[in-house]
Amino acid sequence: MSQLTNAPPLPEPTASGAVVKVPRFAGTFREERFFLVLAVFIGIFSGLAVVCFRLFIEWTGMGLLGPAPEAHNLRVLLVPALIGLLVSALVIHVFPQVRGSGVNQTKSALYIFNGYIPFRTAIGKFITAALAIGGGHSLGPEDPSLQIGAGLASALGRRMNFSREKLRLFAPIGAAAGLAAAFNAPISAVLFVIEEVIGRWSVGVMGPVVLSAISSVVVIRWFLGAQPLFRIPPVTIARPTELIAYGILGIVGGFAAIVFAKAICFLRPRLRALPKWTQYVQSSLAGLCIGLIGYLGAPQVMGAGYEYMDQAMHDQFTWKVLAILAGLKIIATTLSFATGTPGGMFAPALFVGAMLGGAVGGVERIFYPHLTGTTGTYALVGMGVLFAGFLRAPLTSVFMVLEVSGNYSIIVPVILANSVAYVISRSLQPTPIFDLLTRQDGLDLPSLEEQREENILRVEDAMRPPPTPVLDSQETVGEANQSIQQSPATVFLVRLSPSGWTSLNSGLLKRLASEGKSEMTLGSALPTERLPYLHPDLPLEMALRYVYQTPLVPVVSRADFRKLEGVVSSDDVLNKYRVVPREESGMG
Amino acid sequence: MRQLTLKPVTSRPPAVIAGLTLLAILGFIGVTRLVNRFGEQQKALARHLYERAVAEQQAGKPDLAVEHFRDALVYSPDNFEYQLQLARALRDTGRTEEAEAYLVSLWERAPQDGAVNLALGRLAARQKSLDRALQYYHNAIYGVWSSNPDEHRFQAWFELIDFLLRQNARPQAQAELITLAAELPPQPDLWLRVADLFASIPDYDRALAEYRQVLKIQHGNPKALAGGGEAAFNLGQFRLAEHYLQEAAAANTQDAKVARLLEVSRLVLTRDPFRGDISMEERNQRLKSIFGDAGERLESCMASQSGRPPNAPSATSALAPLKTQWDEMKRKLGRLRSSREAGLPDEVMDLVLKVEQQTQSCPPSATDQALLLLAQNRGREP
Repeated sequence: MSQLTNAPPLPEPTASGAVVKVPRFAGTFREERFFLVLAVFIGIFSGLAVVCFRLFIEWTGMGLLGPAPEAHNLRVLLVPALIGLLVSALVIHVFPQVRGSGVNQTKSALYIFNGYIPFRTAIGKFITAALAIGGGHSLGPEDPSLQIGAGLASALGRRMNFSREKLRLFAPIGAAAGLAAAFNAPISAVLFVIEEVIGRWSVGVMGPVVLSAISSVVVIRWFLGAQPLFRIPPVTIARPTELIAYGILGIVGGFAAIVFAKAICFLRPRLRALPKWTQYVQSSLAGLCIGLIGYLGAPQVMGAGYEYMDQAMHDQFTWKVLAILAGLKIIATTLSFATGTPGGMFAPALFVGAMLGGAVGGVERIFYPHLTGTTGTYALVGMGVLFAGFLRAPLTSVFMVLEVSGNYSIIVPVILANSVAYVISRSLQPTPIFDLLTRQDGLDLPSLEEQREENILRVEDAMRPPPTPVLDSQETVGEANQSIQQSPATVFLVRLSPSGWTSLNSGLLKRLASEGKSEMTLGSALPTERLPYLHPDLPLEMALRYVYQTPLVPVVSRADFRKLEGVVSSDDVLNKYRVVPREESGMG
Repeated sequence: MRQLTLKPVTSRPPAVIAGLTLLAILGFIGVTRLVNRFGEQQKALARHLYERAVAEQQAGKPDLAVEHFRDALVYSPDNFEYQLQLARALRDTGRTEEAEAYLVSLWERAPQDGAVNLALGRLAARQKSLDRALQYYHNAIYGVWSSNPDEHRFQAWFELIDFLLRQNARPQAQAELITLAAELPPQPDLWLRVADLFASIPDYDRALAEYRQVLKIQHGNPKALAGGGEAAFNLGQFRLAEHYLQEAAAANTQDAKVARLLEVSRLVLTRDPFRGDISMEERNQRLKSIFGDAGERLESCMASQSGRPPNAPSATSALAPLKTQWDEMKRKLGRLRSSREAGLPDEVMDLVLKVEQQTQSCPPSATDQALLLLAQNRGREP
């Protein structure tokens, strides 16, 4: 592999397409280090932006709906509809790229627009999402925070004239910072960005993503405190059979997640297909429905609803009320989101999960009063369940629950219930919600879940036994000539001393003999050029880089580079690709 | 939308970093101002909701109070006082687990805080968890109080002792009381409380000592007189008991318990046949009188028992052998003067003791109580 890493860096094309030299930073400030420093600044600025965003939402909410929205209040009925009108006008005329949650837009920026997110989009997302959430639409501030962070990072990156590869990474770095600040949860943010935005595990991006997430969380804690979002008593499981109760919650949550996702995916394209003028009133009508729900007795479904999740965890509602709230929230969020109102789905998913979890826990405790879990425990596990089932981010869902509660004792029920919900959701709806939404938008972006399904071809799948004999550099030309006499092969591998490989063909060997070099060893008679080599577990596409440079590429053991496992040629590789069905190779 | 065209600002990272640092500082200053303004608004709103909650709590509406405490905490989530009040309100409405979650979170922030420890101690006491209650109450006793530390500390200590007594953990309660008594400032009401608690353990020696302390400062304190009288009575110090009880009865003529104890004390003092300062004749006279009263008690009790339904457990049958013994003793009673019958007074008192013990099912009079005490404490200096 040394041949790969020793290659000098090539000039790279910039985002504009022109080939320029990477800026030569003086002294210790090389691009990599500078990139890490910038990641910290991205975290700081994203944290500051998210603090302002949250204040703006609070002020909007207090100003429009009052400090504690109550049922049978005309404000509650009318404000979401009026705000819907205003937000629709802003989205159509001023900020056309701020529709929806912001996760897919960030992902599109990464994969399609070389990390480019207009600064205007970040500003627009800030204003429109704050108005919508503060005005009572059933949406959350986390996904917009993610996009705001990504937008800020993208703008900063563009001013720095980084290489295109680096420039692409600014958006996910900012996204992690924005999400970490919104949730006050750095690990979950990093995992989510990797699972959903970047769509693959990449060591290169981990450092800056983690740095930006941590610095944004430091900023948010500086201003808004370090308390966990929810407090529940420590979870003790008296008997292992109690885990069955959490398994049941996982089943119920898995089905609820499917209903939620299918409702959005059903309604969204149909509403978008309506005549364009209807987009002025769609969000307003959705707001009117939500206002009506609030007016008639369930103002809890309006806005992000974190305070009500906390109340649900502390036994403020009966299980029937919790179940009703979960159902109403699914309806309200589907309406808000499908109409393109700017705002996120994280908080609504958590709300539905908390209510559903509390309701399921309540019912279970009626039949099995000995269960030790509190309503808070079930509500918290329910949050993770919806996160895993609806957003299909299994790792994030576990860490998110731990981080928002600061309670590690809940981990076993969370892992169990989340796994159950994830499996049900995957089996009933193979494509995750974010991927469905991007496809509805006419895009096809990579996803980590799809990658997990890919059948990766490796070198060992294409390699074949080496041509015999395998020659040694200590053999003389004459000896070698003699040993290949019986072989049908024309190309042979030579093991060099102390390590390394080269190749020769029978014609070369005969020529060396005719030149009177029969007594010379192969090591001294042959040119010193060494062949690149591969290992059996490497992806097959790696072989493509070498098979056109040389007729045979040796495949050697990782434990002993002199031990030959096999060889690959260009024909071997191409034949292997020809016989693998397209869908199996992950290209379908 | 037209894309913003941004030119590269610099190829000198130190300058960029300096610029970004300046921008971050400006951002911090601006956001700090915004957050402060927001915080003030939130605080005012939270205070308003908190005051409503307190008013509802005082009006005996703990559920509504919980709701408004929660609303207050929405706007001031880190307020220690609000959280503590919410935890207390939750505890008062029986939601002990939630209350504990809040309190433990507060305790983690301020493990030395007396109020939090006291609330956790009360919660543990409600859950009847002796070890945790002891731990948190001790933390409260030796913890930090923002105002009136001594008052809160002694309050916590008294609560702990009450809890221990309710749990029947008398040795622990006694140990706490002894420590508390040594720490008390010269305040008669606190001494009186400690004395009452010693008496309830019962540790009458220490109770009497505390009552005496009170009476040194407040000579005519009726509670101390009554308590001291009762403690002395229970210690068998009837002369002292009579002294205190007489004054207590004079101060409070309505106190039936004091009157009864006084009556019994006087009877014990006037009818004790073993007092050293009486003649042999007087002793025999007292013994006969006591014996006669015991006989009457036996007969009246047997008569009342015989009127019971036939299937009721009959004490009469149990008392019949006693009656036989009494009749036999009556015949011996004439030999009291004889020097050969030196053990007879004790035999008489043994029988009196038996009679009084076995007739406990019949309501005893003051005389019966006195006879029982005389028979039990015979020969002791009153």
